[in-house]
Amino acid sequence: MNCEQAGPLVAAYADGELEGFRRHAVERHLRGCASCAAQHADILALRARLRAEVPYFAAPPGLQDRVRTLVARMPPDRAANARVPKRWRWLGANALAGRAAALAQAPERWRWLGGGALAGCTATVLAFVVGTAVIDWHASQDLVAQAVTSHVRATLDHRLIEVASSDQHTVKPWLSQRLDYSPPVHDLADDGFPLLGGRLTTLGGQSVATLVYGYRKHTIDVFVRPQAREAPPPRALRGFNVAHARGAGWDWLVVSDAEPAVLNACLQKLLRESSRQ
Amino acid sequence: MPHLGAGYNLARWLARDVNDAEDIVQDACIRALKYIGSLNRSDARAWFLTIVRHAFYDWCERNRPAEIARDDGSTLEMAIDHAAIDPEQAAMRRAESKVLADAVAELPLAFREVLILREMEDLSYKEIARVADIPIGTVMSRLARARALLQGSPRLRAIGERTSGGEL
Repeated sequence: MNCEQAGPLVAAYADGELEGFRRHAVERHLRGCASCAAQHADILALRARLRAEVPYFAAPPGLQDRVRTLVARMPPDRAANARVPKRWRWLGANALAGRAAALAQAPERWRWLGGGALAGCTATVLAFVVGTAVIDWHASQDLVAQAVTSHVRATLDHRLIEVASSDQHTVKPWLSQRLDYSPPVHDLADDGFPLLGGRLTTLGGQSVATLVYGYRKHTIDVFVRPQAREAPPPRALRGFNVAHARGAGWDWLVVSDAEPAVLNACLQKLLRESSRQ
Repeated sequence: MPHLGAGYNLARWLARDVNDAEDIVQDACIRALKYIGSLNRSDARAWFLTIVRHAFYDWCERNRPAEIARDDGSTLEMAIDHAAIDPEQAAMRRAESKVLADAVAELPLAFREVLILREMEDLSYKEIARVADIPIGTVMSRLARARALLQGSPRLRAIGERTSGGEL
């Protein structure tokens, strides 16, 4: 490689953008060419100075709270709540009336648990087991929209996990104490979906158990409710893939931006573990 | 909010103003929730930075249209953008002898954004191309230009010459 060939690649080399043969070729050329080596050194020297001298501006202390307030007032949330089908309301009324006060305080108390552990999550996998008499296609779509919004909000707020534990015997009672049902909780670490913890989420006006699993760098939210009869949900919404299955006394709805194959794998593991009980 | 800090830093360097940066980030967070459907397998940080950048350009169109027009037109001819520097901030920076930071802040917008994304956010060319909505070739040429402007900046040269002897 001569200077004419290497010249345009020096910056890409310094930026870690070259691989394999081209990287080795530039490396070799730099060892033998003072002018290209100086160009390379200039880029590295500038970078060192930029990182040492140019401030990385930290967000002002109040910004996170102001954003949180704004997000809490988001119109989509109001719209989603307004669209909650009336048929969901009886569930909220008879099951949760006694717990409303305790649940309202819950997020404040558990906020510290969010931490930074789940920063960088890019996937949303939401499975829920739906427990109402009749839900039509549109209602399912509304629920998916609410579930996705809930996951996003939890991520932004660092509240993905309210009870952090990989132990299903910790997570399950925690959820059972706060709900009128005891959701199936299984650690799927052996299958590549380690249990990270759980939280409560309000979907369609009802408090729902939410299990948080990891999958590589993704975070998976599994919303679980007792089974009922309703139409299958849509297969995709706003760019998220949706998979649906019924079994072991539960209805499962999985929503994700990950491949449908991953969703199906996750579903199969959940179904398998639940039917073993 | 995992990427709030990165979003704020980008907004701060694009807008070059504390209060404006905050407005832009708040707008970006609202947009982020609206556009969550477009978060497809992409890196969440690059995705959020894209939204921050859009929020900045929309804000800029409303509040400083001249800045965008200038940068669209004669960016390559224009070495240093003195116009949008707040004198008070500049004085403060000088007092702290933040020479390089000044030079970065004075880079034309199109070069400043790729430099910030590359050197402060450590994004790859591909990610920068996506965030700034330009071809990878343009990322490379703007980055080269930004570096050349910084290395050739007169106020920087004095210091650069002092240190480069030891670093080479």
